[in-house]
Amino acid sequence: MFVARRLVLAHFWVAFAAFAAAILLGEWQMYVRSPLSSWVNNPEHYYRSVTAHGTVMAYVLPTLVAMGFGYAICELALKRPLIGLRWGWAGFWLVIAGTVLATIPMAAGWASVLYTFYPPMIASPLFYLGVVLVVVGSWVWVALMSVNLRAWRRDNPGAPVPLAMFGNVTGAYLWAWTSVGAAIEVLVLILPVALGFKDTIDAGLARIFFSWTLHAIVYFWLMPAYIAFYTIVPRAIGGRLYSDNMARVAFVLFLVFSMPIGIHHLFAGPHIGAGFKFVHAMMTALVSVPTLLTVFTIVASVEIAARLRGGRGAFGWVKALPWGNPVMLAVTFSFVMLGFGGAGGLINMSYQLNETVHNTQWITGHFHLIFGGAIVIMYMVVAYELWPQLSGCRPLPAGLMKAQLWLWFVGMLVLTMPWHWVGILGMPRRMAYYDYANPAMAGQAWTVTVSAIGGALLVLSALLFVYVLWRSQRVAGDPEPFTFSLPAHPTHVPRPLNVFAPWVAMMIALTVVNYGFPIAQLATMKESSVPAVRMGGP
Amino acid sequence: MRGSIIALVAVTVVSLLLGFVWLPSAHSDFTAKGLWDAICRAAGVPASWGGGEVVTRKPGTSVVLLPEMARAGTSDAAGRGASLALEKCTMCHGARGVSAANAPNLAGQYPEVIIKQMLDYKRGDRASAAMQALAAPLDEKQIRELAAYYASLPRPRNTPFTDMSKAPPLVRVGAPMRNVAPCASCHGGMEQKLGAPWLEGMPKEYLVAELSNFAQGRRTNDSHAQMRNMARALTAKEIEEVADFYARPTGE
Repeated sequence: MFVARRLVLAHFWVAFAAFAAAILLGEWQMYVRSPLSSWVNNPEHYYRSVTAHGTVMAYVLPTLVAMGFGYAICELALKRPLIGLRWGWAGFWLVIAGTVLATIPMAAGWASVLYTFYPPMIASPLFYLGVVLVVVGSWVWVALMSVNLRAWRRDNPGAPVPLAMFGNVTGAYLWAWTSVGAAIEVLVLILPVALGFKDTIDAGLARIFFSWTLHAIVYFWLMPAYIAFYTIVPRAIGGRLYSDNMARVAFVLFLVFSMPIGIHHLFAGPHIGAGFKFVHAMMTALVSVPTLLTVFTIVASVEIAARLRGGRGAFGWVKALPWGNPVMLAVTFSFVMLGFGGAGGLINMSYQLNETVHNTQWITGHFHLIFGGAIVIMYMVVAYELWPQLSGCRPLPAGLMKAQLWLWFVGMLVLTMPWHWVGILGMPRRMAYYDYANPAMAGQAWTVTVSAIGGALLVLSALLFVYVLWRSQRVAGDPEPFTFSLPAHPTHVPRPLNVFAPWVAMMIALTVVNYGFPIAQLATMKESSVPAVRMGGP
Repeated sequence: MRGSIIALVAVTVVSLLLGFVWLPSAHSDFTAKGLWDAICRAAGVPASWGGGEVVTRKPGTSVVLLPEMARAGTSDAAGRGASLALEKCTMCHGARGVSAANAPNLAGQYPEVIIKQMLDYKRGDRASAAMQALAAPLDEKQIRELAAYYASLPRPRNTPFTDMSKAPPLVRVGAPMRNVAPCASCHGGMEQKLGAPWLEGMPKEYLVAELSNFAQGRRTNDSHAQMRNMARALTAKEIEEVADFYARPTGE
């Protein structure tokens, strides 16, 4: 790497430190509402903790990882120094300032509105201003990714953009457009109320704007994991990437289809027409296509690695895989969790089936499995892979890494499988306590204990993860130059898979079709506002 | 590239046709008035359903609670309220707003609570032979002055409970399976909601009587039936229990 090493390291350290703190809150939440503990005396403490856990895990951790990984890709894939290093630091400090600004009201109990804001609940304006600063900081990153790509193109006219950078910029453009929804919600609808200029808020409209962000943000979180699937995993396990162009197809499909589908989060909302809900359900089904393409391509790449190592037979090659390699382990765990989580996701997005699981613990199980499981385990791989480059240390201890990955995998399944099960039985989510004395619920009490045990395993794994990074950084070494995966076949990249403009245009056009009418309808409807519910604080 | 755009347009058009034409066709409600009406309904455009008379019941209260009602009044207003109170209220509610006659304490009560209840008495939405007669001649300005006066008086017990674990479960966590919210989530302790009165130190007889009135539907001036829905689910013993808690002597 050239100049961005410390910048990337700063992003990763803040992300993982916040992650370690937030996971403790998550485990506390599981413990106090399990039969192992008596009811939490003040439910507000529970929601305060949920807000902090969600805000860190959903905004701070993935945004910083995506930004840090993006800067690293800029240098490692484009093989030139990052342009705009100072701007990068400015963006970093904006994110830090925003995090601190949002933490103060959260800790004081002035912002227990959960990370999804849920108007008409209104928190202290400091909380929203903090979140806005985090987003603005990430916009600096979006701009830098675009500037760096443009400069590289100028010097390499007509050359295919390296795959890692292509995925990286896809993620950046996706985030730029998807964050607009929540930005409008906060700036236009929420902040005037939070600052006291208004006493009512159009909660339905606000939730539509949030849904604009809420689903595609998942794909922004997911992008670093997918970039790792395509550009790190095949190389790390000694194979080749099966198809470079398939990866590009998957990335542009995410760009087009991940954004205009968020109304599937509002299937139970009375303020949206059934027709739009159905259209969003259809398009959500389509966004599973790039994931299925990815699973196919990566399994094929893994098979190449196995056959290069002498694997034989229709399934016998599985034995020849480098199972002692932490990356092999991680990608396997990630795919198992992606499989369960994805299958659950197909149920969530089905307009009818959703009725069964809406707002139950099933949903909590789903997003922990797919984000906390399949994606975060790949964040860990990214950190492990980049660490020698970033800190100039020796290769990381494989034994500890494998123990950590196993703990994360087992912990996540033990945490989320009971949630899925009781979700089908109807256990609601976002509850500070359950009345286990009630005979109707007593039979489900054990599942909450099991989830709390799964959470404890995750805490151990997270602390081990931070420990491995911290300890490795203290031992200097001489790392080999970083490389990305090579494709199995010589690749000709067709022009449409080397540019962004038409895909971004399709993304925006589809947004207008899918969101235009519901937004216009609610924005012009009279008397659709409700009184704000202030959550305390100045 | 052209193929991708055509495919995207085709997918979108097919989704729209399915969502707005085919799906509504399964519901007679949607298709009753023809294709265009079905599309409008699928888009969520409000339409009048059926066309029958809509029966509206008179709401239990006509007072709209506004955040400005909760602001402390000026000392002038409180002074005028004090003279008015001396003449009209002290007989039952005590010389300094703390009752010795099982009438509710008013000292330190939130101003919007007093404004709302007085307006409800004045407009006949809350029944009481004494209070309706006393409230009838007062105008809204006088009511606000009374509220400002009582809000300025010291409460019989200023801190609510600090240790929530000593409160009865109904106050602390409610009864979730019966949809009873915790008292403390509106009446102070965890959260103070606009229009919810300060209850600490209230006479037990008054609390029991009013909770029973809500439960039996004799009192209906709670907006959106909030208190009726809570009280209806409570047993007589539970009503006693929460009333005992809020009326407990100072120092406990």
